Amino acid sequence: MAVSLSYDLLLLLVISSLDWSSTPGSAFLTDHNRMTSSAPVEPHFTECMSRDLETFRCWWSPGTFHNLSSPEELRVFYLKRNSPSSEWKECPEYSHLNRECFFDANHTSIWIPYCLQLRGQNNITYFNEDDCFSVENIVRPDPPVSLNWTLLIVSPSGLSYDVMVSWEPPPSADVSTGWMRIEYEIQYRERNATTWEALETQPHTQQTIYGLQAGTEYEVHIRTKMKGFPKFGDFSDSIFVKVTEIPLRESAVLLTLVLTFGVAGILILIMLIVVSHQQRLMMILLPPVPAPKIKGIDSELLKKGKLEELDFILNGGGLGGLPTYISDYYQDEPWVEFIEVDEEDADCGEKEDQKSSDTQRLLGLPQRSVGCFSADSHPDDDSGRASCYDTDLSEQDTHLLAASLLPGQPEDEEAFLHPDEKAPASETNKSPLIQTESEGKPTWINTDLYAQVSNVMPSGGVVLSPGQQLRIQENTEKESQKKGTLGEDTSKLNKPQFQLLVVDPDGSGYTSEITARQISTPPSSLVPGEGYQTIYPQPMETKPAAPSEPNQSPYILPDSPQTRLFAPVADYTVVQELDTHQSLLLNLPTQQPPPPCLPQHPLKAPVAIGYVTPDLLGNLSS
Amino acid sequence: CFTDFFFLQWGVWALLLWPCLVVISNPEDCKEDHGSLTRCPSISQEKLLDRIIHHAELIYRVSEELCSLFEEMFIPFPLRIQSNLAAYACITKTLPIPSSKSELQQISDKWLLHSVLMLVQSWIEPLVYLQMTLDHYDHAPDTLLNKTKWVSEKLVSLEQGVVALIKKMLDDGTLATAYNDQSVPQNDVQPEVLESVMKDYVLISCFKKDAHKMETFLKLLKCRQTDRYNCA
Repeated sequence: MAVSLSYDLLLLLVISSLDWSSTPGSAFLTDHNRMTSSAPVEPHFTECMSRDLETFRCWWSPGTFHNLSSPEELRVFYLKRNSPSSEWKECPEYSHLNRECFFDANHTSIWIPYCLQLRGQNNITYFNEDDCFSVENIVRPDPPVSLNWTLLIVSPSGLSYDVMVSWEPPPSADVSTGWMRIEYEIQYRERNATTWEALETQPHTQQTIYGLQAGTEYEVHIRTKMKGFPKFGDFSDSIFVKVTEIPLRESAVLLTLVLTFGVAGILILIMLIVVSHQQRLMMILLPPVPAPKIKGIDSELLKKGKLEELDFILNGGGLGGLPTYISDYYQDEPWVEFIEVDEEDADCGEKEDQKSSDTQRLLGLPQRSVGCFSADSHPDDDSGRASCYDTDLSEQDTHLLAASLLPGQPEDEEAFLHPDEKAPASETNKSPLIQTESEGKPTWINTDLYAQVSNVMPSGGVVLSPGQQLRIQENTEKESQKKGTLGEDTSKLNKPQFQLLVVDPDGSGYTSEITARQISTPPSSLVPGEGYQTIYPQPMETKPAAPSEPNQSPYILPDSPQTRLFAPVADYTVVQELDTHQSLLLNLPTQQPPPPCLPQHPLKAPVAIGYVTPDLLGNLSS
Repeated sequence: CFTDFFFLQWGVWALLLWPCLVVISNPEDCKEDHGSLTRCPSISQEKLLDRIIHHAELIYRVSEELCSLFEEMFIPFPLRIQSNLAAYACITKTLPIPSSKSELQQISDKWLLHSVLMLVQSWIEPLVYLQMTLDHYDHAPDTLLNKTKWVSEKLVSLEQGVVALIKKMLDDGTLATAYNDQSVPQNDVQPEVLESVMKDYVLISCFKKDAHKMETFLKLLKCRQTDRYNCA
């Protein structure tokens, strides 16, 4: 057996090497082409095929030998070479119509070589050694079934899309038990194309086809083969895939492009504008911080002492009555804070307009200043009264304060605040105020107003109570007071009105806004150097109104000589202590500037007769 | 063997290395020591069978590549048909292994496993021999040698796995070297073939066939384990 085998091999080698192409019907197992020859073809097997690795069938052809036209004349014999003693056996199942020999499962062995031969009559054997095979090598599985496709995704442009094709394995192939391992190959082409595009073989029952063009119909079919073996089965039935174009998508893409470029262009344009108008934009975005100044008034005027012009501006400029005396007074005092005559400040402006007299203006001044100060954002120049003044004092409080300051006119505070008459600003008002003291004090301060502190307001304001004398004066002046005007009537001179002192740290004088003279006593009677003295709530003598005094009279206690009280406002005095009656005990005036009201504000005076801040109160009491 | 698969060798070669790493580096895996089969109590039967099947699939794939590579390099085209013809010269033809689906359906799990074991054990030595002969070739590419070596090694692990599975499934601990004694009639092969090339070619072809057989047997076994009623 071994020897015969070797001889077989040798023979085969020699024959094959000489002329391999001359063996007809050979190599149906392989796929290479057969050379056609003109020689008569003997009966041979055309193909043997298995579909499921369990059975197989072989077809033969009788060839060109005419004497073998009858199909039954050829018989198929096979040999299973699994043992040395194997024999040729006849085909178990013929199908002469198809010239097919079918080997059922009982006659099929895998992994065992089969050899087939055709035998005609007279035992003519047509045997080709090439027709030996193992069943696993001739397997051509059936094509898959139930093909269908689903659209996976369409590209944003709408021009191409992907589909997922899925199918079922062939029912004849026993894939579930693992008997056969099958791979699938998808091929597709355009409807009218001639060549197929093949995708890679893979064992899964679904596959994605990428990059199909929209609007084109595609034909798809699949074939199978055993994994590890080369033979493919037949193709399945074709399915057709088509996705219609979506033109909107194109326009959406175009629109997106247009928008993108448009936005980019606009941004560039904005950048150019910003760069070219850099300076102006900087001005708009980061405006310069305004320096404090009065609208319409050049700060240079104040410095240079152009009093007349300043007065004109302040009084006749329609800005309302900023008391000119004040401006006169203050022109030398750079630390004085002027009221912001800005008309935007309605409250300030309103009050300003309504104050006709100087005193009113004076009185309105603190109010306005208070209000203004509270409303405006003045710079840090906290000189003068404002420094000792609680700027947070609300306007209400200021009104209240001012009203309480006015003797006997609590009910008329509105009238006071909103006088019916408006006193035109005039020079006459100014003149008495500008009387200068002998000491060279601020001219307008003829007298000082001293008043008893009757109550300290929680906001820090001080409520002063007028003396008896003043009250009497009030009664007498009731009529004129009823008018509610703080104008230039002489009758109003008798109205003791509280005035808030703006302390002069320089000691040049009280910066109180005392506009009125002393009612009872001439200012000359004041003893300069006399400090404030205790103010007692004593019945005040009736004091004749000073006819020559157009302005309001200061508060004067009847008891004490007003001269005493109206010491020239040369110096500040320190309040030594508070009396039980809440009267201030003052020091003699010293030439030294008083200690500051607040530690951080050296300009603040310790005493303002009409006003004591809580800090001061604290200092006093301590 | 067919020429179609030659171009796949590199890709599959890389693909083959990965499962080997997975299998070998898994801490649950049994060490591939010859005497340490008893050190793997933790792996489950299903996992062991899966791993064995994986091995068999890989071995078959590599053997197929090996065959096609060898055929392309050393076998002229006219002679390539001889693989079928020489199928009966395979060394394992004498083994009592079922060869049809119907037969396979009738045998028990035990015999199925034993058949696989027989196959595996009968191919270990010939593959070693093949390695030796291939080294003597003048123009054998490294891939050919590497593949042969790889298959030879994997076959050894497959044997160990099958033995372990038999122990687990059948509680039969006497199989360690039962079939090693069954001598493979290698001596018959050597003097018969005129050329070593043809002999090697036949050997490789036969091995490829048997590898497919092993894989199929194991898959059937797996099917039986999971769903006995629907499986073959």
